[in-house]
Amino acid sequence: MTKKNGSRRALLLLLAFITVVVLTASIRYGAINFSTTEITRALASLLPGHPEPTLDQRIFLELRFPRAILCLLVGASLGVGGTLMQALFRNPIVEPGLVGTSSGAAFGSALFFVLGGAIHSSTSLWSLPIAAAIGGVVSTYLVFLLARSREDGRASIVMLLLTGLAVNALFMSAIGFLSYIARDPQARSITFWSLGTLSGASWNAVAIVAISTILGCAIAVRYAKQLNALMIGEEEATYLGVNVNRLKWIILSVNVVIVAVATAFTGVISFVGLVVPHILRMIGGSENRFLLVGSALTGATLLTLADLLARLVVRPAELPIGIVTSAVGVPVFIFLLRRRQYVF
Amino acid sequence: MKRPAVLISLLLLTFAAISCSRFHNAGTGSKDARYIVISPIYNEIIWALGAEGNVVGVDLSTTYPPEVKKVQTVGYHRALSAEGILSLHPTAVIHDNNIGPPQVVQQLQQLNVQMKTFSSKNDSFDGTKALIREMGAYFHKEARAEELCNTLDSQRAASLEKVKQYADHPRVAVIHFGRASNVYMVVGKGGGGDGGGVSQMIELAGGQMAIENRGMQRMESPEIIAQANPDVVLLTDYGYDRLGGALDQIKALPGVATSNAARNNRIYRIEENVLNYFGPRSGENIAKVAAIIHQK
Amino acid sequence: MLTASNITFRVGNKPLLSEVSLSFTPGKLNLIIGPNGAGKSTLIKVLARLLHPQIGKVEYEGTDISRTVEAELAKRRAVLSQAVEVAFPLTVREVVMMGRYPHFGGRPAPTDQSIVDEVMGLFDVSAFGDRAYQTLSGGERQRVNFARVLAQLWRKGSDGHSGAVSSDTAFFCRYLLLDEPLTFLDIRHQIDFMNKVRAFANSPDVVTVGVVHDLNLAARFADQIVLLNDGRVVATGAPIEVLTRERIGAVFGIEPVIVSVESDIHLIFN
Repeated sequence: MTKKNGSRRALLLLLAFITVVVLTASIRYGAINFSTTEITRALASLLPGHPEPTLDQRIFLELRFPRAILCLLVGASLGVGGTLMQALFRNPIVEPGLVGTSSGAAFGSALFFVLGGAIHSSTSLWSLPIAAAIGGVVSTYLVFLLARSREDGRASIVMLLLTGLAVNALFMSAIGFLSYIARDPQARSITFWSLGTLSGASWNAVAIVAISTILGCAIAVRYAKQLNALMIGEEEATYLGVNVNRLKWIILSVNVVIVAVATAFTGVISFVGLVVPHILRMIGGSENRFLLVGSALTGATLLTLADLLARLVVRPAELPIGIVTSAVGVPVFIFLLRRRQYVF
Repeated sequence: MKRPAVLISLLLLTFAAISCSRFHNAGTGSKDARYIVISPIYNEIIWALGAEGNVVGVDLSTTYPPEVKKVQTVGYHRALSAEGILSLHPTAVIHDNNIGPPQVVQQLQQLNVQMKTFSSKNDSFDGTKALIREMGAYFHKEARAEELCNTLDSQRAASLEKVKQYADHPRVAVIHFGRASNVYMVVGKGGGGDGGGVSQMIELAGGQMAIENRGMQRMESPEIIAQANPDVVLLTDYGYDRLGGALDQIKALPGVATSNAARNNRIYRIEENVLNYFGPRSGENIAKVAAIIHQK
Repeated sequence: MLTASNITFRVGNKPLLSEVSLSFTPGKLNLIIGPNGAGKSTLIKVLARLLHPQIGKVEYEGTDISRTVEAELAKRRAVLSQAVEVAFPLTVREVVMMGRYPHFGGRPAPTDQSIVDEVMGLFDVSAFGDRAYQTLSGGERQRVNFARVLAQLWRKGSDGHSGAVSSDTAFFCRYLLLDEPLTFLDIRHQIDFMNKVRAFANSPDVVTVGVVHDLNLAARFADQIVLLNDGRVVATGAPIEVLTRERIGAVFGIEPVIVSVESDIHLIFN
């Protein structure tokens, strides 16, 4: 193993360790603090023969625990999504939401907030995530459709970027319009949702996001080598045997799925997908297998930390998590950028 | 163990939050009942009834009476957190069906948290009195509730007397700034929901609503106000202050410039909780509204 | 053997290549020359199958490559481009290792590591292994890219040919294509490169086709020269046959004085 590989392995192990530490903190601390004994008792209450869980134990089992896990999963999705996008577009200033996924998901939910008030159904708990996911998929598909006019390799990625920008602008103004015609409370719901929240976490949500995240990450890692080849250009990647068109479709699809599904449950959380790959590149280079695994871990850690802060700082109230990720993410990014002579 | 940057950011955020003192207060009350009340009007009535001793949490939008700020806030009523609410160990969560997000409401229900809404609505004087009495019964302050209702009635009567002294019945257009939609809106006659109390207050104060349509509308077309040609234009406080009270900017809003109100400079500021409000203070508010709209 | 049969390649209505038919035998160094816009780069890209001609076909060892799977082709065909843009910080070794990508699935085998060591040694970039590609000069970068391209075709062993032939693909020969690779190199490195290409091309199972601008280099190193103009083949053959005063004057618009020194020809332009 080369020296570089060895140090990367060590780095990933360190990141995994930090993730576990942060997860523990997230499970323990919040508006209510749980001690280790309380946690053990709560978990024990699930076993047959034990007394029914108390309210506090139920809070842990039904609210805190799934929320902590959801943080990990959503953070991992956003981190991996960021790495995939930056590898695909060969541009460091891209975010998973760039191909329209986030704004589409936000639009779907805004539509739900405005119309859903008129439609009262008992399935409304799932309507919001479904509306958001549909919005994300539709907008991304729209971007692909519009950008597909040329088969010429280079123009395609630029076209995707530009079309993505245009579609994003379209959906953002549509959301603005919805806010405009909405009544005050609905408009505020739209605003708060577009800042993101983990407060709706449930085990059902965890199950669905877990499937999409784990599947998505596994597929992404399988294509890590091809993404590496893409870093020296589409032409060169073709010469190295990569079917670039197919790669683009697969990676973009993976990105849409993991980001749309995550966004559907938590609202729009920006900045994580932009910052996480950068941090990782600064400490360990650009090899994609390392980046993808590292991004999953780092994204999970950062989002969990952000959620912890969101829950602690103004307890018992909560800050929208989008505010925390921006407030913490920006200084960290600038700090790291200034410390190293970053090559861009 | 934390990274320095995160620690610094955490300190900064904490400092900011501490400066906003509403988020770090000790709980009040040591009796058995512990209430979290998520509704500005419910809280106002509770304080008026003297039942605030058992309130341990209120929502961010509750700001009256000033004493309410001593109680911890659980956040914005449409962006609540189940854990936050439960950390205060409430025996009941009292709300007016305007809470969100839906997932959190469901979580509270699934954890068998007592959720209470009062059936009376403060959409009129009678409705307000019914609400006061209903809440009085719930909090075992029936006597005080009756007192409040009587005060409300006598204040209302006194106000109506004062209104009689005004001979005119100005046509009034009410403009409200919707902060979530970021747009000026015109309040119409009647209708529930947003702006529901406005037309009642105007009419009790001896005015007429210039705009016929129900509910609130965006001021897209100048015709809405121009056709109505109001004698008086009222702007609620936020919308008025936003333009710095500058008459020429207010007249620049669609349709205002050509109206009688603009010509005679009868454009006034009014507190939202005086006009678009029904509650214990409404009795005296009638007189306040009248004083404003009958100015010359 | 690499054959192009009646290739016509159009972009929109404009033909970049018209009725080009050529054949290249292994063990020889074939160089394509021509004025700007003649279609040289396009031809290399068609031979490499990056571009698909509207008419005609390209065959490797008699097999029409238009249907060949990308990954399979990459095991036997490598292309060195004029310049390679690397979008993110990569180490030199990582870049060279990419040449081995067609040959391993998940992780590089020890063979791959050895091959990378060998080619990096050949191009004298071993010391740069851990340096970021972006910090190198243009010439150093091109050496790294050449190492990468040769790594793609290399068989383990000091000259790149003696190692075992893997039977993982239907093709027997190896195809090295060079698209104006000397552009950013100084004279010393240009000669050095050409010597190395020459050495590699000598192997009886390697077909080498390159594009160069410098007619003297072409004259000195090529076994076969193809002269292209306006998308058509003007002449093919040994340097001494193709590089005549009249022909060069007609195609390039400038007539040289041709001097023969022993068996080499040198062109002098005034």
